[in-house]
Amino acid sequence: MRGKASLLGALLLAAITAVPALTAGAGAPAVLKLDDKIESMKRAGVGPVNFPHARHEKLYKCADCHPKIFKEKVNTSDISMKKNMEGKACGTAKCHDSIKAFPLFQCVKCHTNVKAAR
Amino acid sequence: MTIKFIRSFYLKVAILLAFALAAGLWYSAPGRAAEKAPAKILDPTDPNSILYLDTSGKLAGTGDPNKPASLFYRAGQGWHPKALAESTLPKDKYGLINWVESVKTNMIRPRASIDPKEEEMPPMELDIIIEAKSDYVNDVKYPHWIHTYWLKCEICHDTKGGAMFIPQKGANNMSMLGIGEGKWCGRCHGKVSFPLADCLRCHTVPKGAKK
Ligand code: HEC
Ligand code: HEC
Ligand code: HEC
Ligand code: HEC
Ligand code: HEC
Repeated sequence: MRGKASLLGALLLAAITAVPALTAGAGAPAVLKLDDKIESMKRAGVGPVNFPHARHEKLYKCADCHPKIFKEKVNTSDISMKKNMEGKACGTAKCHDSIKAFPLFQCVKCHTNVKAAR
Repeated sequence: MTIKFIRSFYLKVAILLAFALAAGLWYSAPGRAAEKAPAKILDPTDPNSILYLDTSGKLAGTGDPNKPASLFYRAGQGWHPKALAESTLPKDKYGLINWVESVKTNMIRPRASIDPKEEEMPPMELDIIIEAKSDYVNDVKYPHWIHTYWLKCEICHDTKGGAMFIPQKGANNMSMLGIGEGKWCGRCHGKVSFPLADCLRCHTVPKGAKK
């Protein structure tokens, strides 16, 4: 009985996690791990970015971002904080440099494994 | 028994309400109005209003720090009375007043002190390049000039409870994470001076540029 219940639970969990992945656009996973600049990130005391692709798809059309701002392959768009603060990539006008989204200085909102600030 | 109780209960409530109403009427009677503090102005287009608008015309704040902050405030763009926005002072990219341009172009010339006997200390010309711990992001040029135009040395170098900054290049072990959380430069920027969101006003020296 117990075994059956946990099996059912596991199946349910799998289904729940699979749904957003399946409903995402042509092949884009729900969350993308962006880490090609990991060496530079380590110097600043931050970890990889978990980009919630599915959440952005709900708010914008594919063409708002692809191919103008980002390439359609993970870790190929050469995103950096330099670009972000120059109004490109995440910092594009009306995105993370506007009242529509949280600002760029809230590092923990995008980066994982953020070290305790000194 | 129960019916009797309910009856008397409602009766009590009714009497109490009647008293409250009477007290309220007396309090707000025309004769008393003169004793009350002047009414707060709620018209956001009035500069004396306790409500103000930001440059986009949205509500910027209510003047009450316990209320949730406006979208502008959360974006690090601060409070912004409309009256100031409509002045002719130079603005930054968020439409906030650029106090650096305002003094550099002599549009305003504030007195050094309200004490007329106090002598003015000329601002100090000393730029310090602070390296950003990133392979890409521009380094930061910290200008003493504009800071000492507005502020005394002691504010940063001799603060009660320990100096905010040890006056020695590279001795402070700063980080952008800390700044974003309100330490170091973040003690003022985003609060009493231009917002942290305006990254490029600090990050001005490209990596590898002659220092
Ligand atoms: C808010 C902007 C944004 C929107 C809207 C958006 N994407 Fe993306 N997409 C990105 C980013 C950022 C990446 C990662 C690029 C990188 O790392 O170089 C990406 C990556 C991808 C990838 C590559 C995934 C991989 O694993 O390599 C695909 C495919 C993709 N998007 C398809 C879509 C489709 C289809 C839509 C519309 C349903 C869409 N995207 C909408 C920002 C967006
Ligand atoms: C809106 C989301 C977002 C925010 C907020 C954000 N970052 Fe990033 N950051 C990114 C993305 C995306 C990349 C690129 C990751 C990759 O492709 O390797 C990146 C890359 C970096 C890098 C490596 C590239 C470089 O330019 O050196 C560093 C260091 C970094 N971030 C530090 C920070 C710090 C410090 C903060 C807070 C002040 C911050 N980030 C806030 C999204 C963000
Ligand atoms: C707004 C804050 C602030 C004010 C006001 C300020 N300083 Fe500084 N000062 C700094 C910072 C930040 C540094 C760089 C510390 C570092 O690199 O870690 C610094 C560094 C210095 C240094 C070291 C320079 C070096 O090359 O090592 C001296 C000397 C100094 N300040 C003197 C002064 C004097 C004199 C005044 C008043 C005229 C003054 N400061 C006002 C923030 C301030
Ligand atoms: C008030 C000035 C100021 C502003 C505004 C500012 N920074 Fe910084 N930033 C600094 C200083 C100073 C450092 C160097 C800290 C150190 O010693 O490592 C720095 C360093 C960085 C670093 C490298 C990591 C590190 O800790 O050195 C990144 C990434 C960064 N800033 C991103 C940003 C972004 C993104 C913004 C805009 C949202 C921004 N900064 C706005 C002053 C500023
Ligand atoms: C004690 C408060 C205080 C601290 C701490 C402080 N600043 Fe400032 N800063 C100001 C004020 C005030 C101005 C004048 C502009 C304004 O009011 O917006 C200013 C102006 C500047 C400017 C001039 C911008 C321009 O457009 O020319 C830069 C650059 C700057 N600060 C960088 C820094 C950096 C980097 C740090 C940390 C190392 C720092 N500040 C710490 C108060 C402060």
